[in-house]
Amino acid sequence: MAEVQLKNIKKVYPFVSGEKKVKKKKADEPEKKKVNLQITNEGVVAVQAFNLDIKDKEFIVLVGPSGCGKSTTLRMVAGLEEISGGELYIDGKLMNDVAPKDRDIAMVFQNYALYPHMSVYDNMAFSLKLSKVPKDEIDKKVREAAEILDITQYLERKPKALSGGQRQRVAIGRAIVRAPKVMLMDEPLSNLDAKLRNEMRAEIIKLRKRIDTTFIYVTHDQTEAMTLGDRIVIMRDGYIQQIGTPQEVFNHPANLFVAGFIGMPVMNFFDANLVREGKQYFVEVDGFKVELSPEKEERLLANDVQSQPVTLGVRPEHTDVTEQGIASKVEVAEMMGSSVHLHLDANGKDVIVIVPTIDMKESYKQGDTVHFSFKGKVAHVFSKETDKNLEF
Amino acid sequence: MDSAKTSPAPVKKKGRWLKKLRENYPFLVMIFPAVLVVFLFNYLPIYGLLIAFQDFMPGDPILGEYTRWVGFDNFTRFFNDVQFWPLMSNTFLLCIFGFIIGFPLPIIVALLLNATKSRRTAKILQTIFNGPHFISLVVMVGMLTLFFGRYGLVNNIIAAIGGERVSYFLQSSAFRPMYILSSNWQDFGWSAIIYVAALSNVDPGQHEAAILDGATRWQRVLHVDLPAIMPMVSVMLIMSIGGLMGVGYEKALLMQTDGNLGVSELIATYVYKQGLTGVPDQAYATAIGLFNSIINVVLLIIANTTSKRFSENSLW
Ligand SMILES: Nc1ncnc2c1ncn2[C@@H]1O[C@H](COP(=O)(O)OP(=O)(O)O)[C@@H](O)[C@H]1O
Ligand SMILES: [Mg+2]
Repeated sequence: MAEVQLKNIKKVYPFVSGEKKVKKKKADEPEKKKVNLQITNEGVVAVQAFNLDIKDKEFIVLVGPSGCGKSTTLRMVAGLEEISGGELYIDGKLMNDVAPKDRDIAMVFQNYALYPHMSVYDNMAFSLKLSKVPKDEIDKKVREAAEILDITQYLERKPKALSGGQRQRVAIGRAIVRAPKVMLMDEPLSNLDAKLRNEMRAEIIKLRKRIDTTFIYVTHDQTEAMTLGDRIVIMRDGYIQQIGTPQEVFNHPANLFVAGFIGMPVMNFFDANLVREGKQYFVEVDGFKVELSPEKEERLLANDVQSQPVTLGVRPEHTDVTEQGIASKVEVAEMMGSSVHLHLDANGKDVIVIVPTIDMKESYKQGDTVHFSFKGKVAHVFSKETDKNLEF
Repeated sequence: MDSAKTSPAPVKKKGRWLKKLRENYPFLVMIFPAVLVVFLFNYLPIYGLLIAFQDFMPGDPILGEYTRWVGFDNFTRFFNDVQFWPLMSNTFLLCIFGFIIGFPLPIIVALLLNATKSRRTAKILQTIFNGPHFISLVVMVGMLTLFFGRYGLVNNIIAAIGGERVSYFLQSSAFRPMYILSSNWQDFGWSAIIYVAALSNVDPGQHEAAILDGATRWQRVLHVDLPAIMPMVSVMLIMSIGGLMGVGYEKALLMQTDGNLGVSELIATYVYKQGLTGVPDQAYATAIGLFNSIINVVLLIIANTTSKRFSENSLW
């Protein structure tokens, strides 16, 4: 139960001797790496310009591709990693130099990190024992937590004798017995199989209602982020890309990266032209003209956006098969039950369209010609130069 | 009737065995040299133990026409030897004191190395600690004379400050400390390697979890590091107890003088002297050696059974 503020937080991992030279050699090669962290004289900048105000009892999810600095940020909050710059406040108190155990936080790790020689009970009781809580109180708290997580029957077992899901419950139990002000979770579900992951995700949502504390949750999985977070922080290469509710980041992605990262299947992108005629905007793509919705026009107008070439983004959910529109050929039709995912080839460009099965008039075969179009309400226009959403 | 029922089974078993053999033959080929070496040097010589039960003269065939079997005579002779109790206690005391210091030392060193913040420092220290292991025994004892001999460093200092020179090599009381401390100095780093390796396998996440749980550095050593190497410690403990009375003769012989003979004569040195010097009595020496090995096997079995009983760790 606490507010957490991160002000201009920065993390630089200093070079280990010899590493710098290796990096320089690689710079000559064509850049193919996915991660492009900034490298300065001091070292690799894993996180920078990180500003975030977390409200009391809020569930924040840090999401982004692997290597973007999520764990580093979380570990700085935990105190496991030194903060290279900026300030961290928990409940208004500066925490930069406070020892991890005095920050009143608890953390759940991806690989559980349970003590293998201790029983489940002792694993959960360990922190309380160390802080010299009376025995009967420890017992009460451990049993309470075990009850919440439904692991009471395993209390005497060693972690070795538990399944992955049960181990993760114990790890969560170990964190909640202390009733921490802030609960930190670093990819807690990544080691579980898909079915168990869905179950545990629901479990965490329930847990959150019961223990009522501030959560910071790290994941690389956008579905997890969307389902769990009150607000999502999308990161890339050490920078925050966008902060917002799941709805906001889905409907109004701040840039091309967020647009491509959030949503499954991935958003369709087209080369297009944004045309301004007085106070009206429309996009031209493949000779096909779409008028933007009034709200969009208003925002573009507010930014005084001029006519320019843009990257147009439309989600597969918002793309419809119509009589007229952009012509394309069906490559694959994936039957998903309630809908069909059409993978189309539009002049050499891959486009995905989701067609609800209920509306489907015909079945699609490979090579069929299909026309698709979309409404102005769901079209996102991104600057060709900066990749930014022009509405922002 | 019974045999009719059971006869197909062995055939089946044999077939399976052959199939396994065919599947695994590359592995069998690979272990063959090791098996051969062990057989030649560890199993074949067991045949020679037969002379412990004979009235054997050097040059006699082990199983010949004129072999005189004497049963346990050689053993009873040893039990009645005036040297029996001194040999037993000398060997036992040297080994037990060596064990009490030498067993925990590498564990402590490994834990300290692991807790050293700088990986670089830890690596350098470990390399330095490993050095003495490669000094040969003869050189080691030579070094001991350089330090503790009548005209060695220690005595030179004593003389310089006006004291009397002491011949440490002639004093019974100095034998065990010199022997044990120099052995441990040579091997503590080397023996620590196995624990250092086990410690490097500890998930760093466990340490981080412990830090967040509020554990101090010392508590982390106690609750994370030590439990992680405990299985290794048990195995090493069983093996050292098994080898407790198995000290070799070389170093004791090198350090032996008429002055310290009372404590430096061990079972191993006695076997050496009986079997290879003066008028060799190989049958007697073999009997004593066999007796010593039996003690070791019994100790090993006791240690293993105890460990199995009280922990999950055992050799078999
Ligand atoms: N101890 C370290 N030393 C140097 N670089 C590190 C260290 N830990 C992480 N990094 C780098 O920092 C970047 C961010 O890492 P991390 O926060 O773990 O990413 P993720 O978002 O996948 O959790 C990565 O590119 C990684 O290589
Ligand atoms: Mg990570």
